[in-house]
Amino acid sequence: MARSLSRTLRFTIFTLVEYTRSGRILVELAATTIFFYIFLRRWTSAPPPNYFFSTVALFELALSFYTSASIMALGDRPQGYLILARRVGRNGYLLGLYLAVLAIAVALYGLISLATALYNPVAGLTLAGWLAGTTPLLLNVALLSALLALMAPMVLPASARLTVLALIAVAFSGSLIGGQTLAGLPGPLVAVLSVLRTIFSTPLLPAFTGFELALSRDYSGLALAIPLAQFSLTLGLLALALYAFARREIIFSGA
Amino acid sequence: MDAIEIQDLYKSYDGLSVLRGLDLRVPQGSVYGLLGPNGSGKSTLIHLLLGFLRPNRGTLRVLGQHDLALVRGRIGYLPERLRYHLHYTGREYLRYLGQFSDMAGPQLARRVADELDAVGLSAAADRRLATYSKGMLQRLGIAQALLATPDMLLIDEPTSGLDPAGQREILDLLGELRQRGHTIFLATHFLDEIDLLCDTVGILYDGRLAEQIDVPTLRAPGRSALLKLAHITPELQAQLAQLSPAVRSSGREIALQPNTPALQAQVLRALLDANVPIISLEPQSRPLEEIYMRVVRGEPGDQALEQAPPGMFVPPGHPDALAAAPPARRSNGDTLLRELLGRPDGEAGPPDSEQAKK
Repeated sequence: MARSLSRTLRFTIFTLVEYTRSGRILVELAATTIFFYIFLRRWTSAPPPNYFFSTVALFELALSFYTSASIMALGDRPQGYLILARRVGRNGYLLGLYLAVLAIAVALYGLISLATALYNPVAGLTLAGWLAGTTPLLLNVALLSALLALMAPMVLPASARLTVLALIAVAFSGSLIGGQTLAGLPGPLVAVLSVLRTIFSTPLLPAFTGFELALSRDYSGLALAIPLAQFSLTLGLLALALYAFARREIIFSGA
Repeated sequence: MDAIEIQDLYKSYDGLSVLRGLDLRVPQGSVYGLLGPNGSGKSTLIHLLLGFLRPNRGTLRVLGQHDLALVRGRIGYLPERLRYHLHYTGREYLRYLGQFSDMAGPQLARRVADELDAVGLSAAADRRLATYSKGMLQRLGIAQALLATPDMLLIDEPTSGLDPAGQREILDLLGELRQRGHTIFLATHFLDEIDLLCDTVGILYDGRLAEQIDVPTLRAPGRSALLKLAHITPELQAQLAQLSPAVRSSGREIALQPNTPALQAQVLRALLDANVPIISLEPQSRPLEEIYMRVVRGEPGDQALEQAPPGMFVPPGHPDALAAAPPARRSNGDTLLRELLGRPDGEAGPPDSEQAKK
């Protein structure tokens, strides 16, 4: 177990070094700089905590989406055969790629936080408050990255990916389909859609409530269950990705 | 225990059959060459052996294990395409790959240095792989395959895409591995690689093992040979013609057809005694190439030509005829082929696949 973890971490470092030396990291660094300049540079007064966490949370999600896609594509190249033929194995390979995405997302978040603290401190935000908002924010990043690892072409075949996307679309159908359009649909269809939306949006609850928790930083009552739910869902998605990858025929497609 | 045991293996992609009932065994310590045209399934088979792909049907055992995850790390793999992580130096890359095989510390550093030295890359060890030539990358590929001292090597088209000098280097390195007693499974479509490196060759065609041949049996003198000389006198030509009707002179060339070791030795002795400079002695046929071409053209086999020693093909009056001919058997109308193979009635004919594999 310790050896397996060590191999996975070594592969994570290997991927990060490759990602950095290839220059791909420059895209993230440039995006982060632009984001900071537009949204967090001191214009007039210090930003409130809600503003900081909401803008950074959305930016981090968008950035981790890009980083996940880039790193999964990096893993989906024939170079990977040499690594998979070693003791790293399939689980270590996929986990290593996933951890590399997380490492980049966390590092850039740390960079944004540090730059904000230095050049434009958030009004009234203590270290404890920062940690309270950061935990659900980064758990959401981990959750999205796990979903994207599952959706990588080397993990799930196209048909399965389309199915997952369809389920996500149903879950979001309340937001995607406007009220007027919904009213125009036949009654039974609306009812079925409503039931499906309830079922398929339930797994997304930890993500949405996690976002709210990052803004409120209020852990009273049962709010502590939210990060736990985020973490559990992340583990569930990762387990599903590892299960699918372990059974997949490996035919790397990238150049 | 065999290093590789494959029984009735089937593999298809999207309904297209690649392997169709493949049976194959590779003994430990041997060098097995898998020959086949492009697209015949050689790389697919290697990926099946590494567990990247799964068979549709059949059994596959590697180093005694059905569960290929258990032999991960005990197999060195040299892929066909020169695709490496080019942003690392040679030393860094090998160090990481060693770490992925549970190597660490001074032992890893020593193994990396040893393997870089063995493949002649010590001087380029701290250069980025992006600056390596194709030949250097392939040598690095051999180093990484050997790094964790594997029990078996799977090598896919080792000289593909290399220039002649690069090919020579790689063949020399593989020749050294052969001398060290490694079990090697080599997929290729180059006959020279088989000739130089392998103990046994299997020809993969139409998803099955169409032929399996012991390579040393193919290394006997060619069934015909051509000697090129600096000059030759008419007297010497006449002397050589008296040795056997199989010796035919034409200008400065002497053809031995059919050729045998004894006849070849006699002719060479006569030429040396007469102080005639020999420019070259070349076989005029390549048995492996003939067998391979016959298989891929779907022609029936000529087992007598493939398996009988050269001494069997001697015309009357040939010096080898008396020494090599088997004792006369009572003939009851057997074909010449049956006679030559020394088989009982009813067994002559084109070789079936089972016979060919033995």
